[in-house]
Amino acid sequence: MIPSNEQIAALVRSDSVHKSVYTDPVLFQLEMERIYGQAWIYVGHESQVRQPGDYHTTRLGDQDVIMVRGANQRVNVLYNRCPHKGAKLVADGDGSVGKFFRCPYHAWTFKLDGQHLSAPLKSGFEGTCYDPRHADFSMVSLARVESYRGFVFASQAAHGPDLKSFLGGVITSIDNLCDRSPVGEVEVAGGVFRVQQRSNWKVFYENLHDTMHARVTHESSVDAARGEAEAIGEMPFELLIMDGNGEPYDFWEKLELRAYHNGHGYMEAIFDPTAAERDEVSRAHFDCLSEAYGEPRAREILGMNRHNTVIYGSGSPHTVFMQFRVIRPLAVDRTLVEIQTFRCKGAPDAVFDRALTYANVINSPSSNVMPDDVEVYARCQEGNLTRGGEWISMHRYVGTDTLLEDGAVSTNGTSELPMRNQFAAWKHFMTATLIAKESTHAA
Amino acid sequence: MLLDRRIDVRTHDLIPAQVPAATQQEIERFLFQEARLLDERRFWEWDRLFTDTGMYWVPQEHGQENPFDHISLFWENRMLREVRIRRVENARNWSQQPQTQTAHLVGNVCIDGLDAQGLLVVSATFQVSEWRLEQRQLAGRYTYKLAAQDSGGWKIQLKRVDLINCNDVFANLEVFV
Repeated sequence: MIPSNEQIAALVRSDSVHKSVYTDPVLFQLEMERIYGQAWIYVGHESQVRQPGDYHTTRLGDQDVIMVRGANQRVNVLYNRCPHKGAKLVADGDGSVGKFFRCPYHAWTFKLDGQHLSAPLKSGFEGTCYDPRHADFSMVSLARVESYRGFVFASQAAHGPDLKSFLGGVITSIDNLCDRSPVGEVEVAGGVFRVQQRSNWKVFYENLHDTMHARVTHESSVDAARGEAEAIGEMPFELLIMDGNGEPYDFWEKLELRAYHNGHGYMEAIFDPTAAERDEVSRAHFDCLSEAYGEPRAREILGMNRHNTVIYGSGSPHTVFMQFRVIRPLAVDRTLVEIQTFRCKGAPDAVFDRALTYANVINSPSSNVMPDDVEVYARCQEGNLTRGGEWISMHRYVGTDTLLEDGAVSTNGTSELPMRNQFAAWKHFMTATLIAKESTHAA
Repeated sequence: MLLDRRIDVRTHDLIPAQVPAATQQEIERFLFQEARLLDERRFWEWDRLFTDTGMYWVPQEHGQENPFDHISLFWENRMLREVRIRRVENARNWSQQPQTQTAHLVGNVCIDGLDAQGLLVVSATFQVSEWRLEQRQLAGRYTYKLAAQDSGGWKIQLKRVDLINCNDVFANLEVFV
């Protein structure tokens, strides 16, 4: 039974949320339609498809899609389905189809924007409704595709706010990521990790700005990093980025949490890269940006020291260490994370080395930090299947958030404002009247 | 930094090497003992099998050339191996409750040759059954660069682990493969 909007709205209170939002497969299916089927979702970066015919596959909500560079250099996002028998046109992964798509089943071919090109033995269609110009015989494009500074997003709804309006203030994180390059451009480089979590996708989003968990959940990696630093007599970058979670409560209380409409937000940085002993990378980066933009602007760019940013429905860029953890829900209790690492075009090589090291140490499947997170997410998933209670608390500092025109800011860095903000957006998407759903599919 | 390009990870284009049967046997015993230390979670002893500059590497890509311009599932020097050991042995290691258990099977041991520095390059096929809450199977090929010790015996300058599913989706990899 599909719950009514009133029933869904009742699951989200101002200070708590009903556990079924994490465990109910019916709600998960509705999320696929009402959130992932409408909102702007990050597909990938233009640098992943450099030449016409290059493609990258991924999953937007419950849909397998292909991002492909068209003959006119435009980046298209198409459903991975041949209109003939429905076969996925390309295998999952990255590659090039050349000048056109060719289905491995019956050799129907399609232009790089999905338009029908040909089918063998056309005489067999004589006197039928086969019409190469009719949409039924072409690949289907997602309703809307927009790119911002190389970051490609798609929406499966034909109508709604444009990408910039949807992103609102969180666009400043994408800007800052790109501005760290002296030519203002980044590219995905060095491969993409894919890690699986046995938990609902929303748990991860909440965790990204959950400052109260850091020193508790991550005690083992903090202790290990500190023990090792003591043994070797220094705290190099690789240990510093594990040590940060161990800051005392009063440190976290002073951080700023910023919430934007649509569930987005960011958390102020916890690691100061210049605090690493032997840190020459920040200095070289600063010099390079000063030459390009002048010292005041360089200081402004590198001074925007944010930890995780949340682009709700898409994932979490880390602007300082040049990562994007792209969050893909697979099932109500299963989530895939694609970890992209960026190279700042024109910046010193050491900046990319640092990003690669951060990816290897923090975001790899072998991370010493992540397993304890993933473990507690799974415990939430399992605990919420028990009859031991109905509600999940997000009371911390409720009612104290400072409201701003484009969102809110916390009065204390341990506030659960980010979770409240995410669930406000969730409730909005899940209960808003569906926008022109039919025209999405007619396109 | 760990991404020191001077670290020689090449394990192809080797100088052919003939080793006596006794040496072959000694190396096999060395690899079996190494696997056993991992299975028994005697990680500190395992780490001591490496030279001071020895590296543990699990590439993320088939045929990956180096760990410098591409991500790796593991790229660890002694410091990072010790951090991993300290973490899995920490009392508050939530994700190691229960702890990971492994059984390694190592075979097809081949002496591949000598690298440019004269290190002996040895490869072997492995199967690892790994259990934590559920069982998974890891498999692939190990490639070692072994340094003969003045005192006799061998130490590991490089252990490269090529998983057959290196670029797959992974649940966490908490212990050494």
